[in-house]
Amino acid sequence: MKPYEWMVTYTPQTEWVEHRGILLWLAFFFIELGAGTFLISSLFDNLPGMLTGWLICAVLGGGAHLIYLGHPLRFWRIFISSGWKTSWISRGMYFVTLFLLLGIIYLILGSQANQAVPLLVATNIMAFLVIIYGGFAMNFVNGIPLWNTAILPILYVVSGLWGGAGLTLVITMAAGATKIGMAVEEWTRLLLVGFIILLAVYLVSIRYGSSAGKISVREMVRGKWAPLLWIMVIALGIVLPLGVVISSYTAGLTAIPVALLYIAVFFELTGDLAMRYLILKCGFYNPLVPVHL
Amino acid sequence: MARWGMAIDLVRCLGCQACVIACKQDHNIPSGVNWCRVITGEIGTYPIAKLESWPVLCNHCYEPKCVNACPTGASAHREDGVVTIDYDKCVGCRYCLIACPYQARTYLSKFEQYFPGQGWLPSEEIAGKTYQTGVVVKCTFCTERLEAGQKKGLNPGVDREATPACVNICPAEARYFGDLDDPESNISRLIVERGGIQNHPEYGTDPSVYYLR
Repeated sequence: MKPYEWMVTYTPQTEWVEHRGILLWLAFFFIELGAGTFLISSLFDNLPGMLTGWLICAVLGGGAHLIYLGHPLRFWRIFISSGWKTSWISRGMYFVTLFLLLGIIYLILGSQANQAVPLLVATNIMAFLVIIYGGFAMNFVNGIPLWNTAILPILYVVSGLWGGAGLTLVITMAAGATKIGMAVEEWTRLLLVGFIILLAVYLVSIRYGSSAGKISVREMVRGKWAPLLWIMVIALGIVLPLGVVISSYTAGLTAIPVALLYIAVFFELTGDLAMRYLILKCGFYNPLVPVHL
Repeated sequence: MARWGMAIDLVRCLGCQACVIACKQDHNIPSGVNWCRVITGEIGTYPIAKLESWPVLCNHCYEPKCVNACPTGASAHREDGVVTIDYDKCVGCRYCLIACPYQARTYLSKFEQYFPGQGWLPSEEIAGKTYQTGVVVKCTFCTERLEAGQKKGLNPGVDREATPACVNICPAEARYFGDLDDPESNISRLIVERGGIQNHPEYGTDPSVYYLR
């Protein structure tokens, strides 16, 4: 790249996806997956699933988030500033902290008491906010048209819940709770259909929304990162789980080999991870200086 | 209270990069980081072609996205319109860097030598004491000069001692500095007379840097 070429051409953002930026990609994924697993598991009163979700969010998500920071030991400054009024990262830290606090209280104390419903409702509200804040944090960046769309937070909510439902399905089936597994599987069907529709609407709307958006989508669909989209996201992440879902719908969940179910959920999660990578990697800025220069 | 701003005359700019060097020298900016840049590009094709230069720096926006993105309050918008970063408060999340549509911020991950293997220059040693790694840095509009000059009763944009280094150094006098809120200031009159434009006004950030054509 020639000196300053990045200022007159469409250039991808790198800080949130390259070098230590990889940690942020993982942090967003694990935080939303953990919260989604907790939320879906709680609907079926599945304590192992809730605990798993909590641990994923706290250890993998929170850990990656902290290590990513240039000065991790200063993270407490987020809580003493008024940044939450405008900053989605600040709000996200509050949501995650409250979710983890309320979640652990529920898991230790509340799950054994009969009057724990308000606590669980509060925890689930926080879990939902944890799932959605990453989408809003990216939506705020108006220099990158791929991110600056209202569909992104909704897409992240659906993918977070979908991943959570998949993980909950694995946990319930592994525990031999087939009846609950069947109920969870119905959720995954709905969320999978929702995810497919939203992803298609998202890509089409971005493609025709702006020139930078067009370049972002072209990079995903036909460019350097096309194999990741078509193989990891579409073929393995969507088509394979869709085949399993259709089979279970027609033949029943018990007719599906458990190993195949696990494989489908594994690829569902890796497909989700790949989609998030693509959205970060193909986030192109508009040129800084007008094109006529 | 004044709102400091800058106007850059694209017709006068030679693309000599003196402003880039002055900024680096004045602030002892580490290797790999530029607060002030000059983009030089070719317009048209031979025989109808010409070179044009476009200096860029932090726009010190009136509605800064970076300040709204900052989770700790490290990035702040002062009453005089200057956007600053408090390095001691910065956690290095880089959200401000991502949120700035002008890509005017840089993450300082480590100090690199200007001449690798030949030791640190005196200016690099000063930089090591002035800056921190793991934080985001950007143009300050030479606030230290503005403040020191104003304390002496000097007028930024008029008196060199109270004016940013890039404005002082420009041999073509292509940069103007002054109070955007004062309709009688030199910069305000120039913007009105020459139809000054802001870079990407569609972002709604209301930049304090204007371009004159």
